[in-house]
Amino acid sequence: MTWHSFFNLSTMQNRHLLASYATVLIIQGAYVGWIAWNWFRTKNTHH
Amino acid sequence: MEQRNPTLRSVAWLWFGIAIAVLVVGFRQAIFLTPADAAQGDVGRIFYYHVPSAMWSLVFPYVNFIASLFYLYWRKRDPLKALTADAMAIAAAEVSVVYSSICLITGSIWGRAAWGIWWTWDERLTSELLLFLLYVSYLMLRRFSSTGQAQTLAAVISIFAAIDVPIVWMSIRWWRTQHPAPVFFGGPDAGLDKSMMPAFVWNIIGWGIWGIFILIFRFALERRRQLAEQEAALQAIEASLEIPQ
Repeated sequence: MTWHSFFNLSTMQNRHLLASYATVLIIQGAYVGWIAWNWFRTKNTHH
Repeated sequence: MEQRNPTLRSVAWLWFGIAIAVLVVGFRQAIFLTPADAAQGDVGRIFYYHVPSAMWSLVFPYVNFIASLFYLYWRKRDPLKALTADAMAIAAAEVSVVYSSICLITGSIWGRAAWGIWWTWDERLTSELLLFLLYVSYLMLRRFSSTGQAQTLAAVISIFAAIDVPIVWMSIRWWRTQHPAPVFFGGPDAGLDKSMMPAFVWNIIGWGIWGIFILIFRFALERRRQLAEQEAALQAIEASLEIPQ
């Protein structure tokens, strides 16, 4: 498989493969982003 | 403490870097280097993201379960230790939701392409959905309960989830379901083709390292929040004790 065929949306197989990988990366990325956002918003009482 | 924070930060960045590097190798193996599945074609590559997420979704609930047991043990004996255990419990509950939701969504997308259906109420799918819903209810209880007993009630839910985990694992062994038979520990006919092993191993290790990273990061955030809350409460008490001039 190549980058070109990975992003080829002409078949259901390719669309579903891309959708599942994108889902994983989006959910994990959004969660770690949410933690990081709250991390900087929460007062650090150690300093 | 000022010496401790930079060291911890360096370890966290190093761990994060290792996780990303392993996941990049895993992605490359899964998409570009491993041959397409003989029966399913390219859609079979969903396996390399679906199965590691599914397997880790059965591990993090036990982190939550053990932390909840420590919370229940310490809540009267040592409230400060109980708070630490509770921070780990909520972090593990959220990570469990992340991994189980990924398992359900990628499984559904794969099922539509491979079986022609998005969903079926078979034992494996239903027990995994139940695990997800138990942790969603755990988090909602923690978020919205105003009884003051939310942590204790949530700890009880975590016991139900811990009971569900072995049911999820064993469901495809106990019952013949729509879900494929077990690939690992499934008897003489089970096993993974040698050509699939590198992609699978890199991804299960990568998503494990990543899962531990987000678990510890979320735990650290919860501790930071708890300490900020304690300091605010102390300041409020001090302010209320000041005698007006």
